[in-house]
Amino acid sequence: MFGGTLAGGGSGRRGLGGSEGAPRWGLPHVGALLDPPLFSPPPALILFFYLVFYGFLTALFTLTMWVMLQTVDPYIPKYQDRLSVPGMMIRPKTDTLDVTFNVSNTESWDRYVKMLNDFLEPYNDSIQAATNDACRPGRYNEQPDNGVLNYPKRACQFNRTALGACSGLNDPTHYGYADGRPCILIKMNRVGEAGWGLAPPNFEGSPPHTFKLGEMVMYPPNGHIDLMYFPYYGKKVHVNYTQPIVAVKFLTLEANTDHNVECKVNAVNIATTDERDKFAGRVAFKIRVNRD
Amino acid sequence: DDHQLSVEDLELKYQTNINKAGEILLRDGPNELKPPKGTPEYVKFARQLAGGLQCLMWVAAAICLIAFGIQCGQGDLTSADNLYLAIALIAVVVVTGCFGYYQEFKSTNIIASFKNLVPQQATVIRDGDKFQINANQLVVGDLVEIKGGDRVPADIRIITSQGCKVDNSSLTGESEPQTRAPECTHESPLETRNIAFFSTMCLEGTATGIIVNTGDRTIIGRIATLASGVENEKTPIAIEIEHFVDIIAGLAIFFGGTFFVVAMVIGYPFLKAMVFFMAIVVAYVPEGLLATVTVCLSLTAKRLARKNCVVKNLEAVETLGSTSVICSDKTGTLTQNRMTVSHLWFDNQIHTADTTEDQSGQSFDQSSETWRALCKIVSLCNRAFFKSGQDNVPVPKRIVIGDASETALLKFSEIALGNVMEYRERYKKACEIPFNSTNKFQLSIHELEDPRDPRYLLVMKGAPERILERCATIMIKGQELPLDEQWKEAFQTAYMDLGGLGERVLGFCHLYLDPGQFPRGFSFDTEDMNFPTSGLCFAGLISMIDPPRATVPDAVMKCRTAGIRVIMVTGDHPITAKAIAASVGIISEGSETVEDIAARMRIPVEQVNKWEARACVVNGGQLKDMETEELVEILKMHPEMVFARTSPQQKLIIVESCQKLGAIVAVTGDGVNDSPALKKADIGVAMGIAGSDAAKNAADMILLDDNFASIVTGVEQGRLIFDNLKKSIAYTLTKNIPELTPYLIYITVSVPLPLGCITILFIELCTDIFPSVSLAYEKAESDIMHLKPRNPRRDRLVNEALAVYSYFQIGAIQSFAGFTDYFTAMAQEGWFPLLCVGLRAQWENDHLQDLQDSYGQEWTFGQRLYQEYTCYTVFFISIEMCQISDVLIRKTRRLSVFQQGFFRNKILVIAIVFQLCLGCFLCYCPGMPNIFNFMPIRFQWWLVPLPYGILIFVYDEIRKLGVRRHPGSWWDKELYY
Repeated sequence: MFGGTLAGGGSGRRGLGGSEGAPRWGLPHVGALLDPPLFSPPPALILFFYLVFYGFLTALFTLTMWVMLQTVDPYIPKYQDRLSVPGMMIRPKTDTLDVTFNVSNTESWDRYVKMLNDFLEPYNDSIQAATNDACRPGRYNEQPDNGVLNYPKRACQFNRTALGACSGLNDPTHYGYADGRPCILIKMNRVGEAGWGLAPPNFEGSPPHTFKLGEMVMYPPNGHIDLMYFPYYGKKVHVNYTQPIVAVKFLTLEANTDHNVECKVNAVNIATTDERDKFAGRVAFKIRVNRD
Repeated sequence: DDHQLSVEDLELKYQTNINKAGEILLRDGPNELKPPKGTPEYVKFARQLAGGLQCLMWVAAAICLIAFGIQCGQGDLTSADNLYLAIALIAVVVVTGCFGYYQEFKSTNIIASFKNLVPQQATVIRDGDKFQINANQLVVGDLVEIKGGDRVPADIRIITSQGCKVDNSSLTGESEPQTRAPECTHESPLETRNIAFFSTMCLEGTATGIIVNTGDRTIIGRIATLASGVENEKTPIAIEIEHFVDIIAGLAIFFGGTFFVVAMVIGYPFLKAMVFFMAIVVAYVPEGLLATVTVCLSLTAKRLARKNCVVKNLEAVETLGSTSVICSDKTGTLTQNRMTVSHLWFDNQIHTADTTEDQSGQSFDQSSETWRALCKIVSLCNRAFFKSGQDNVPVPKRIVIGDASETALLKFSEIALGNVMEYRERYKKACEIPFNSTNKFQLSIHELEDPRDPRYLLVMKGAPERILERCATIMIKGQELPLDEQWKEAFQTAYMDLGGLGERVLGFCHLYLDPGQFPRGFSFDTEDMNFPTSGLCFAGLISMIDPPRATVPDAVMKCRTAGIRVIMVTGDHPITAKAIAASVGIISEGSETVEDIAARMRIPVEQVNKWEARACVVNGGQLKDMETEELVEILKMHPEMVFARTSPQQKLIIVESCQKLGAIVAVTGDGVNDSPALKKADIGVAMGIAGSDAAKNAADMILLDDNFASIVTGVEQGRLIFDNLKKSIAYTLTKNIPELTPYLIYITVSVPLPLGCITILFIELCTDIFPSVSLAYEKAESDIMHLKPRNPRRDRLVNEALAVYSYFQIGAIQSFAGFTDYFTAMAQEGWFPLLCVGLRAQWENDHLQDLQDSYGQEWTFGQRLYQEYTCYTVFFISIEMCQISDVLIRKTRRLSVFQQGFFRNKILVIAIVFQLCLGCFLCYCPGMPNIFNFMPIRFQWWLVPLPYGILIFVYDEIRKLGVRRHPGSWWDKELYY
């Protein structure tokens, strides 16, 4: 690589070993500059050396990487040290998590509606029915391998219709954006099998100014997510896994006011108090409905 | 030319006895040497901040600030890394600067404590009245009195003198006391007898004189001024470090440039690419190296200080190691600067006396009767005496009032006989004639100890030929034999032999006076000499010399084995110089000068083939007529050189000529006359006890115990630190690559950043400092005192082989180790290597809270950030593990580590343990993630880099094996650093 060019120059060395004998003269010869130049190996040899050297290193690297990959199961994550608390996100999502629109200005909320449409596409009942099972609610949907390694897992249906007024189906109000009663979808990041255990999470709006937020309604009811959607077995075996979501519809949002809303997972085993990560088990966003 | 004027003219010129001393004092300034313009403290401190490495770091800090500015300008406020880096760089420079400054401040204090602060007094006669005033109040034209024991207060033209002798050794290097008398004896003011010089010692007698020069206009002042005009040479280590900085800067710009182009090609915007460029350049700066070098040097300085070598400038500790020529002053440096009895001739045999400082040498056979007689003469015919109250002081150290040769004889007899003072009392002195230059003898007559023996004993000493003239018999083995031609011949031979050794010879004789002619109570008259002064009995010869210090011959020998040429440069006379040179081994046994060869072959000097003569004695007069080329020619022709009768200016020229030949020159000296040469030398070594302030000021190193042998220690330590610095630097440079490659991969392949800036700073300035310093404690691999001095042009501190081997081989292995561990940590947490590639933009997007990993799990930005910190930590641990292997291989450059011994260097073992503990602490101390971006990592990630660590060790053993087995092969040339 780079070595060839630099190594070409002869390198000075100091004689070691007493065999050379002590010189009688302290002064270096004036002719030292004329001393025969040190033998410089041909660049080709050096190039070859580095080729072998880096070839060997690359081989060792490949070997250790291969060994390492043997320790990693492509189906089940080895560790989930960072994922003890699932992150949360809202839809429609903007960089600033700011949902601001003018009821009478279609263009101002058009993109939100488009985002929600795209997002809910896979939740269409027809697709769900085609790919996923209707599971029994109220218990974990555990699917042991039963001897077959990484046996494909079935996912439970989460039908778009379950979102009720926020499903956007046959909805002239476009998720409520057209009449100033917007829906916000709240999704929880999926994390793997080791997951977070027993108690089902449900969502809870804990706004500082509840009175201003006014009434709201959640789908599924009370923002409760059923146990049957857990655990998640990873994208390889759990191909059609449909993430459960919670929709919040703000019914009587005071107009022309900024509303800061924070949603938290309410589950016994999910801490939502991480100071550093504002999206661990909770999400905060701003919503503002402008009316002319 | 004041010495040539008559006293009347002089009075006229200086209007002696004037009453306007105050006016002149105002005009000329006080009579003292202006202290050499002391460097102001802030300049000294600034110098600590302006070395080669320091400049590199300043530039790097500036670049960091610019990069930070650019980032701010772009509105990217997320990362203050560049700011931290700049602050760290500046902090390192300032802290090490303070450290270095403190070190030098301490040694300056040690040196300053040697200064004599007591103001000197002088006796001045103004308007006929005597005053005692401070010597610095004296003005030109003042009439002053000096007496034995005084320091001459200014340059004085002698008007009257009674047996006044001064010690000019610090000015001219002559070890013999010089007589001062009113007569002008030489054209040159330096040689004439009627000028006494400022700051020389008056040993005996008294004199009065008119001050002709004061302060800086005195001879000594002029020499001191000459010294301050000489520029200090750059130390070899400073040159090496500059060379090293060049290499680093070159590589940094090469790398930065390459990746700038790469970044542009990949499609980064110009400013972003510019920031990358700057980051790479800065990443190349080894932040920890400055601290390492400073600490290593001060460790050696401390080690030297324990052996009584104080180094004024830290960088000078290495210089002795590179030294190829030592120009040594004779008097006070190689010799003891005191006359000592060295040989005796009696019973027709030359006996050697013990001349060692501590009387540890062998004594001669003292059973002969003649010896007893000689000893009696020596004790009695002597006017010198010990200052009282010194009974507990060892004899050689006692203070004696008297002339140098009498002192020598007194001490000699004190050691031989015991209490001489008491002995003298037993032999009551009846009369005495002191030594004078016309008689050239000294005589005294004593009563005998035994009161029943009425005889008087006449004892006499003096110039041998004069003594012999007065003798009729010679004592051989206690018998008085007639002094015939045969004995005279024997005497001549012995006299010539001793004279040829450069020794001052005195003859001794005695006579028991006939009690009939001279009964008790006889009145001896020294004017008429009413007693016999011829027909005496010759007892023997005693010769004296300023003997070499006991440790010097051995030290000179060691210097020669170490390939260092020792040249004597002295102000003393050629014969003495040559004799001392021969006795300390500067002229080795069997070496001949051109003159010796001519004498041996009985041919004229011109016919001798000069190349046959190994030795050469050049005296100041010859040197004056020589062109510089001629001098260089002579230096090349004769390996063993002695320069005698040299002036301070000539010493300077000799040093310059050696430097012109490419040598790194050390000068040792103690006198003012040495100070210009001390300053010019690459390293000036001054004597701490005997040395004059001027010499100490000009020197870089001071031998507190005046022991020339300490120079050998200095050479050894200097060579060792050069070797060990090489190892430390190699160790420190290596990790530069594993610190840099993550960033390069980050730019080009767009993986999440594997190693953060703060982590790098922790490696550089925290965990790796101790191990790299511990290499300074490494023992030498071979007998470094049997090697030639390094060739400053070829044997660099950091050569290409070192840089290439460290960067592109060991550094490369470490990088691979780091990446293996990085990808392991990523994969085991859910991010497979292939997914990582190109992930950077999404990974670093702090609005993206649900980035999917290889298992479809979704990560928030915060979770990814902690994962990134985990990567930093894992990479950090990889580098640490590899660096442990690295520090082990750096123990040796040539020998196998097994030959050197794994645990011989205890400090290094402790350093490794310390490094591991520090690593654990950084990883597992709570709170670290959010302060310094360290995460607690899983145990197996400590083990991932192990195969690479083992590879480093094994590969280096193979390298060393190849280097040892095939010296001179391409392997040796490329891989031996």
